[in-house]
Order: sequence, then structure tokens, then C-alpha cells
Amino acid sequence: MLIDIKDLYKIYNEGQESEVRALDGVSLQINRGEFVAIVGASGSGKSTMMNVLGCLDVPTRGEYILNGTQVTSLKDRELARIRNREIGFIFQGYNLLQDLDALDNVILPLIYRGTSIFEREELAMDALARVGMDGRAHHRPSQMSGGQQQRVAIARAIATHPPIIMADEPTGALDSKTGRHVLGILQQLYREGTTILLITHDDGIAATAPRVVRLSDGKIISDKHQEVDWL
Amino acid sequence: MNLMQAFKMAFKSIASKKMRSFLTMLGIIIGVASVVIMVSVVQGQNKKNMEYWEAMGDNKIEVQAYMWYETSGSVADLLYEYCMSMPDLVLGVTPQMQVWDSMKIRYDAKMFDTQNYDDYEKRLQVVLGSDQYGVCNNYTLGGGRELSFLDIEKTNRVCVLGAGAKKQLFDFVDPVGETIFINDAPFLVVGWYESFGLDGYSGSSMDNVILLPYTFNRSLNNNQQMDQYIVKGKDAKSTQLAVIKLRTFLQGFIIDGENGWSNVYSSDTWTSEMEQANLMQSLVLGAIAGISLLVGGIGIMNIMLVTVTERTREIGIRKAIGAERRSIIVQFLIEAAVICGIGGLIGIGLGCMGSLIAGKFLLQGMILWPSSMITIGAFTFSVVLGVLFGLYPAIKASSLQPVDALRAE
Repeated sequence: MLIDIKDLYKIYNEGQESEVRALDGVSLQINRGEFVAIVGASGSGKSTMMNVLGCLDVPTRGEYILNGTQVTSLKDRELARIRNREIGFIFQGYNLLQDLDALDNVILPLIYRGTSIFEREELAMDALARVGMDGRAHHRPSQMSGGQQQRVAIARAIATHPPIIMADEPTGALDSKTGRHVLGILQQLYREGTTILLITHDDGIAATAPRVVRLSDGKIISDKHQEVDWL
Repeated sequence: MNLMQAFKMAFKSIASKKMRSFLTMLGIIIGVASVVIMVSVVQGQNKKNMEYWEAMGDNKIEVQAYMWYETSGSVADLLYEYCMSMPDLVLGVTPQMQVWDSMKIRYDAKMFDTQNYDDYEKRLQVVLGSDQYGVCNNYTLGGGRELSFLDIEKTNRVCVLGAGAKKQLFDFVDPVGETIFINDAPFLVVGWYESFGLDGYSGSSMDNVILLPYTFNRSLNNNQQMDQYIVKGKDAKSTQLAVIKLRTFLQGFIIDGENGWSNVYSSDTWTSEMEQANLMQSLVLGAIAGISLLVGGIGIMNIMLVTVTERTREIGIRKAIGAERRSIIVQFLIEAAVICGIGGLIGIGLGCMGSLIAGKFLLQGMILWPSSMITIGAFTFSVVLGVLFGLYPAIKASSLQPVDALRAE
């Protein structure tokens, strides 16, 4: 079992009138090598779910075991290590550093990992090549289209070869053709054994995932496996 | 992530945000440079003042004495005799009197008028003094002789020239034995003084004197009341004693407000007053410099705080891809230190250049060099300020959850 959460809560303004339960007692297990889509309307808690699973946020209560480690008790340093080595993030808004070119953006996680200076560039170029962006290594984000930026962001996410990729609406800001291209890259990673968590509000995209977890008001309302055409 | 890497990252960040880096530096550059320039100008001015006073001489006593119904020269004669009676305390005494009326001074075909000059630094002055005028005013005899006691008593038509007057009248000719005409009356030049080598009007005015025996007061100066005298003390101690003795002596026959007035200052009094004035000047300009440093500091603060949100997002991204809190703080610390350090160095450079320029134009070509204490102080202040406010967003944002930092817009 790769991800195991039990009775997880994320509550904002707890005990006040304005209390919001973004996650309201969620339990979920995900195995290594799964492709899971987490679906829900906006405000259903799916982004909070990803932030907590990705160690970008801490739950109010509950248990989260990632790869056998009790995450909720970890310190900043160990969480940083998990974000760096275990999880690759892909965001809707790409979140590239605007002042660095594509290559430097992809190199960044390798620097924090402590990869030797001689390997870094090669590994980063490999990652860029896998998303077809090696020709634009020295372009800055502002010189690229949205689809290209998202591909650079994917390269950054996979540069350290993390076992898990978490993508929060990765196609949300893209047209359908580039969106399909980005999804294709995720599917390819899945085939190579990476665990994929795809957060989306779009049922059409959810339909391409072998497993769909549906959230509403911070609770899981369904958890289904389905046949997909690309496998 | 090691330190080397942190340095590289900091430099990359500085290079990629040129405008912000420059604006941050600007505050520091202006702050440091203005402090350095102002302080060195004040120090230069003070040094110049002190040089002037030192050249004027130590152990110098200025006596002001004046009687309303005095017969000509009586105070001068009494003072002269009294001072001569205590040779163990006093080296010399002289009236200090300038002839303010227009005097036409001629040698050969050269003609000068003491009241008609374009350049004040070249204006000749006819002064009246005793045989001890040179001693009292710290002149060094360059050639010939001083006035003699006999010259005074007999009202001999002789004169001694200051270096400036000698140069203007004679160029390189030896003036001793030549005759100059003052308002068409002939005067024999018996000696000349070396230059004081001081710049500015006060310096050149001491070199531009033509000294005549004070007994010419009657014929040349409409018998004006002589009221200024210089007494030269032997050393600091005897000067103090002489001041007291002179006061008592003068008060013996001059009652302030009834038949005249008298006053005795020693140069010590002047020096301490000068030092007081210098201190005030230093304080005022120091305060102005401090304010400009503060304004520079506020500029640094502003630009650093303005970038907090931008940088918060950046920190969120860095944390999401695996940066530890520590490595983010180290990176920002180095970044701020490098920006502020470079800005401070540029500020010092500009400050030194500015000091030299200010010295050239404000202080007659004086070579001004800022004091290292002030320079280091201003540098340290602005760098510390810059680093503190550069670190502020890093410390604040790196302790947020990554998701909260990412949310910053």
C-alpha cells in the first residue's frame, strides 16, 4: 500500500460560525502503480485532498501513511525530502519560476535533492526530452505557450523520478488538444509504473482514469474502477 | 544543498531580477555615498580652520583697548612699555591696524589700489605695526630685516612686504633696498616675509600686507583710534599668566563704559570656541547625513517589503519541489548580503569620488578623504538593514505551509 489515509479531516475556522470542512473524515487507500482520478465539483475538497496527500498542507486530524511512514508526525525537513523525492507536482497554473529558463526550472528539484553538478543537467535534459521540450531548454516561461509551460512543469515533476505524480487540474488552463497531449504524457508515465493522482472537475477527463474517486462536500461518495480505452 | 550551491542560486536570482536588485542597491548607494561625502566635507572644513588658526600662531593674545579721550598713541605706548617690562612672559607686542582708505601703491610702472580690485585674493593691504609685528603674527622673515624700534620712533619711511605683495610688486626681483610709493610718498623696502602657504582669502590676505611703522597712523590713517593689539606669549603657561596681567594692567586705567573699554583674549579661547563651532557643524551635518541614510534605509525596506508577495509565491514553489526551510533562508540571506554589499561598495566608491570633487570645488582643491570609521559605520548600517529586510520575507514565507505560500498573489 502506497497511500493510506484514515479518517482524515481538514477543517478551517474550526468551532466558529464560518467553519468549513474541506475534508470531512476521508479514508482512502491507493496502491503502487495505480492511476486514480479524484473528481468533484469546485469546493468539494479535491484540491485540499491533493495538498494534504502531497504534504503541501497538514490535516487537522487523522492518519496519513505514505509508503509506510506516518506523515502527520514529520518535521519540515523530512516533509521537504518527501516532496522532493517521493512526489512530483503538476499544478493548473504551472508554477514555474518566471526568471529561470526551462532547464534551470527543471534542475531546481535536482539541486534540492543534492544531485551532483555533473549529472544534473543531463538528468534535466532527459526529463525535458521525455516531454518533447528539449528544444526549448533555454526559453523562459514567458516565451512559451501554456501547453509548453505545462510540459516543462511535468519535466520538473519527473526529473527526480518520483514514484508518485500528483496533478491538480493539469489541463485546466489548456485547450483540448494540448490537454490531450499532457494527459498522454501522464498515461505514458503510468505505463512505466508511476502512480498517478489526477485531480479534476471534468468528467470527460475522469473517464480516462482506471479508478475514479468522487468527492462531495469533503466526503468520498463513490470509488469505482472502470475500463479505459487506452490500456 | 551546500553553501556553494546557495551562492550560485543567489547570484542567479540577483542577475535575473536586475531592476529590483538595482533599486535595492540604489537606496544603499545613496545612503552610504551621502554620509561619506558630508562627513568628509565637514572634517575637511574643520581641518582647514584648524590649519588657519595654527598658522596664525599659538600663544597669541588679542588685546582690544580703547580710550575715548586718548591722546594719540598713548594706549599703544603704555601697552608697548608694559609688555617690554615682562620679557620672561612676552615675546612681542604690536598694534594691529589696517588702513582702510584707498591707498595707491606704485613701483616702477606697476600701480595698485587697495580699494580697487576685481580679485579679493590679490587685494593689497597697508597695515600698521610695531617692530614686533612679524613675531606676533607668526611671519617668517624671507630677506632683509624687520622694522626696528628706531623706525617706529623716528617714523622712518620704511616698509616690510608680505610674500603676496612682494610677488605682485616685484615678481622675482629682490625688493630689499628698492623704493615703493604709497600715495606718492616714497618708502624704502627693508625686508619681506615668507608666504604662509594657506589657500583662500584669509590665507592670501596675510601674505598681501605692506607693513609700515604704526607711527604713520597720524599721517596715513587720519589718526584713527588704534584699538587692536597682538601680544605674543612665550609659551602656553606664560600666555595664560600674561592674559591675567594684561587684564589687570588695562583695567588700571581704563574703566569699561566710563572712559573706554578693554578686552583680552588668548588664542586658546579662540581655539576652544572654534572647536565648539566645529562640533556644532559636525553635529548638524551629521544629523543631515543620518537622515539621508535613514531615507536610504527606508528605500531598501520598501523595495524589500514590496517584493514579499512575489517572493512568497516563489518560496511556495521552491518548497513544493523539495526545498527545506533552511536552504531557502540561506539563499535569501546570501542574496540580500550580496546586493547590499555591492551597493555599499559602490556607495563608498561614489562617496570617495564625491569627496574629492567636493574638496576641489568647495575647499580650494583640498584632497578630501573620508574617515574609515564613518565609512565602515554607514556601510554596516545599510548592509544590516538590507539583510534584515531581505530576510524578512524569507523567514515569514518559509514558515508557511507550502500551499499557503503558493496561494499568494
